[in-house]
Amino acid sequence: MRPLFSETSAAAVRLVVAVTFSVTTIFIDSRFNALTLVRQTIKTGLWPVEQLSFLPGRLLSEVIQWSQSQNLILQRLESIGLENQRLKTEQLKLHTLRAENAELRRLLGVKERVNERLLQAQIERLSNDPFIHRVTINRGLLAGVMMGQPVISADGLVGQVVVTYPNAADVLMMTDATHHLPVQVMRTRERAIAVGVGRMDRIELRNLPDTVDIVPGDILETSGLGARFQPGIPVAEVKEVIRAPGQPFAWVVAEPLAPLARLSLVMVDLSKGE
Amino acid sequence: MTFGLTWLLTLLLIAFPYPSFLSLALPHFGYLFVTWWGLMRNHQLSMTLLLVSSLPVDVLYGTALGLHGLIFASIAYALTLLGPSIRQVNWLRQSTVIFVVLMIASAVSYWVRTLTGQAPEFHILVFQAFSSALFWSPLCWLYDLLAQFTQDSEAQR
Repeated sequence: MRPLFSETSAAAVRLVVAVTFSVTTIFIDSRFNALTLVRQTIKTGLWPVEQLSFLPGRLLSEVIQWSQSQNLILQRLESIGLENQRLKTEQLKLHTLRAENAELRRLLGVKERVNERLLQAQIERLSNDPFIHRVTINRGLLAGVMMGQPVISADGLVGQVVVTYPNAADVLMMTDATHHLPVQVMRTRERAIAVGVGRMDRIELRNLPDTVDIVPGDILETSGLGARFQPGIPVAEVKEVIRAPGQPFAWVVAEPLAPLARLSLVMVDLSKGE
Repeated sequence: MTFGLTWLLTLLLIAFPYPSFLSLALPHFGYLFVTWWGLMRNHQLSMTLLLVSSLPVDVLYGTALGLHGLIFASIAYALTLLGPSIRQVNWLRQSTVIFVVLMIASAVSYWVRTLTGQAPEFHILVFQAFSSALFWSPLCWLYDLLAQFTQDSEAQR
């Protein structure tokens, strides 16, 4: 009879050791988040590689810019000037509304929301893994970015900072399958938890009461529960409300307002985490 | 030297900011890097070095640390066993075998990702394995070129 372990090769032993090491590392990283320092160190070391990989794209955009005609640039300048004028007018209205809001809040005895400090950041790269909705932005610890800070765009919420490095930060988008976000319906103030499903164009509200008052077209905004996001940041638009006959719960499908797949500029809300 | 250069090239290919619509059609350059080492240079491949080199890949993809170590080790082991029999066959047969090996690696990846709370879709992993197998031939040529270059420069010294 052949003994069971007589042909155990050195390669198999090495494989077992490697698998044990890997599984332990995965467990520690995903369950306890204890390897952030290792991740930060590696990411800092990868900085030159990342800069080198951005070089072809940057060169290409420089060439495109250079090849654009002067007329086109003048036209763009003109339209930007007009847009700037319009935004200035809007800003004046905003000042008035802010003052009015502050007065109303004072009358109602509600604490004023202060410290809205937004930091502009550029998205440098999107994770190439199709199941991970993470982007790297070009601002990090040195610019005051901290873990947990909300990231927004002109259209609505993008996600939150999950890892910070000296000159960069990783932002987990709200559509990632591991992201959960407390939201409310703008029209009815109905609260729910929006979960990512791993698709850029979709988040879901699950297990809502069948009688919930949500209709397609409703806007979802952050509810402020959990104290991570300020209340009132627009999140998504309801596209579909699924009420299966015989099921006690309704299911809501919504589309993020921010064009997550096409974003290039975002804002980090520095007032959170301070 | 060869390991360092091929690893650097792989990291560059992974870190390159591809447009988001390409994410489903992109091959996994990390898998192809291990495939080349497991198939062509398995006598020089160290498991420790492979595990250490997998950590930056985890950071670049944003996956849990250790995920790529596990997959790299599995691919390297499988190809070390298969290496002698498929090294001499044509690129089409090689790509077919690599597709099968990468499918097994994808199954491992699917299992670990599900355990860590992600929502992977298996057909995307299958597609990624397929595109990786398609890219095998040009990337193998590129790695061979780099290996030749390092050998020549070492010989000149």
